[in-house]
Amino acid sequence: MKIKLPNFSPWRVWIGGLVTVIAAGVAAGLIVLWKGLWLTNLTDMVPWGLWITIDLSSIAMSAGAFSLCAVVYLLGLKRYQAVARTATFIGLIGYTMAVLTLMLDIGRPDRFWHSMVYWNEHSLLWEVTMCVTFYLAVLALEAMPIFAGIGWLRSHWPKLAEKMSRVHHFAPYLAIAGLALSMLHQSSLGALYGVLKARPLWYRPDISVLFIISAIAGGMALTVFASMLSVRLTRHANVENSILDRVSLIVGWVLVVYLYFRFWDALSMTYTYEPGRTEGLHLLTGGPLSFNFWIGEILLGAVVPILLLLNKRTRALPLWRMLAMALVVGGVVAYRWDTNLSGLLVILSYLPGDPSVAYTAYRPALIEILTGAGIVGYGLLAFSLGVRYLKVVDHNSIKTHTEEPKIVKAIPVATD
Amino acid sequence: MSEIKINRRDFIKLTVAGVSVLAGSQIIRRAQALETVASNGHQWAMVIDQSKCTGCDYCTLACRAHNDIPPEISWNVVTKTGTVGAQDVYTPRPCMHCAHAPCVDVCPVRASSYRSDGIVKMDYDRCIGCRYCEIACPYGARSFNWKQFDGQNPAVPEWGQPEVARRPRGVVEKCSFCYQRIDRGLALGLTPGIDEDATPACVVVCPVGARQFGDLNDPESNVSKLLHERTSYRLRDDLGTSPRVYYLSATEEPQS
Repeated sequence: MKIKLPNFSPWRVWIGGLVTVIAAGVAAGLIVLWKGLWLTNLTDMVPWGLWITIDLSSIAMSAGAFSLCAVVYLLGLKRYQAVARTATFIGLIGYTMAVLTLMLDIGRPDRFWHSMVYWNEHSLLWEVTMCVTFYLAVLALEAMPIFAGIGWLRSHWPKLAEKMSRVHHFAPYLAIAGLALSMLHQSSLGALYGVLKARPLWYRPDISVLFIISAIAGGMALTVFASMLSVRLTRHANVENSILDRVSLIVGWVLVVYLYFRFWDALSMTYTYEPGRTEGLHLLTGGPLSFNFWIGEILLGAVVPILLLLNKRTRALPLWRMLAMALVVGGVVAYRWDTNLSGLLVILSYLPGDPSVAYTAYRPALIEILTGAGIVGYGLLAFSLGVRYLKVVDHNSIKTHTEEPKIVKAIPVATD
Repeated sequence: MSEIKINRRDFIKLTVAGVSVLAGSQIIRRAQALETVASNGHQWAMVIDQSKCTGCDYCTLACRAHNDIPPEISWNVVTKTGTVGAQDVYTPRPCMHCAHAPCVDVCPVRASSYRSDGIVKMDYDRCIGCRYCEIACPYGARSFNWKQFDGQNPAVPEWGQPEVARRPRGVVEKCSFCYQRIDRGLALGLTPGIDEDATPACVVVCPVGARQFGDLNDPESNVSKLLHERTSYRLRDDLGTSPRVYYLSATEEPQS
């Protein structure tokens, strides 16, 4: 027994645990695909639940990629390049997580390609699908130079690795495409809810704005959190504290903007009774979602991190900063969950006469939780492997990286 | 520095291109909306007389048989909505076949579409089962096939014989105004709303004649006459969906 113990290094335990969670998720996912969606607790009243929340959240958490790439390549603030690299890798993971979740959630995953062929440009969901597909391609290209760093690839396919790392020269153009696509679908994911007149709580223009602002905060927060956690846990990661400090300050201010819009958005809904809307708001402020709303979204998700991040002293302390970032991530996830459910749990009658409102309930089934955990586990595994083998959290490597393009650039000039 | 300038210019170009694509799609959308309004030919509609409806639910059962619907799904739902005098009042609810249908707008694959006769049609071979239309429909008229419907349909043969293919697991389904009956009937020279074989099953089965079906473009049709003579209303008219199902309110004394 004692002889075997040294094998259980923290890394192996972590990977082993993740693989177990993923295996359970894969098994549960296969059962869902085989037996059908009746195994879930989704109903015709609440057709979107935990999986949609994971889908929306993983896309939101990927928003660090487009925002930081825009900062680096469009605003020209090159010193954020290392963080943008981490964010891009997280983005690639996040979008693949979203695609995996959607494949489970739709009734006919074999027809996932239909929106590519049968266009309905009136549909926000169509627009989101197209943007997500194209953006996934952009992210894959943006992450090419990261994958070019794989040792095996370099030794076995040096020319391919060389070509892959050259994709980096197109980074500014990819950043433009990423910004355009993300501005579209990050907000459209909120507008998806906002355009539905049948759902009075959702039917307002603000959700789209709130979705993109919260996604920018959440995406940057996850990037900073994951970077700092990696540094604490492994020697394969290193960061430059001043850069993460700046990004954290940005997150703080983005949260201020978010809270400001959220305040007026919520307050404007409290005036006069509107059937369906008032009940939905009550679900958030006093009903089953109130803990999520007041504690998860507002207090811990926004107010506390704003205080921690805008205060120079707490922001400088790694543990406080990490706590703030984790809270932001939690708050954004809670916001997605609450947005989805507050609209679905209220059923506004179509019958004439007094507008009657009924409530329904939703609690994810075990199989939804297992598959969801498997997908999150995949994300964590991919990131862990990325930190260890692809050095995705490596603020030193970028310094040499930034010099590299200059040399390459000099060649065509010399041949001219 | 020059590199950044090009990027900005490209960014503006891309933004302009993106905005114009969006604007273009909006113009196309307007044009299409006008098209549906201007369409000639038949415009099918249903009139439900609540002063006659007794809530027997025959319509739901006939619908289940003719459209081969599983017992846990109803394309047509009959709800008791109050009383007038000593009489109970019921509100049957098929699909409204809205002229401005939220389900058609939101479907990412155009699985829901307008027929030129106004019927909102589902393409079950195209539906991906995302259920966005279920969430968008103000009338709860859509149901998802959570399970594969296998075995005997309990409504068959007592309430009729299936006329359409059973839907597979994983797609959303809804009332079709029995367009299989309308299309076949028209091909045979029959008149929907008058000849039973060309009329939706729920209308045919109604023992008290509470449902009428016909062409709004034909001033002599049952529905045109009823809507001309009596005051009607539509469900959630405030939403601007323009349903093709009209209701005649229940009154103290049953009319004609």
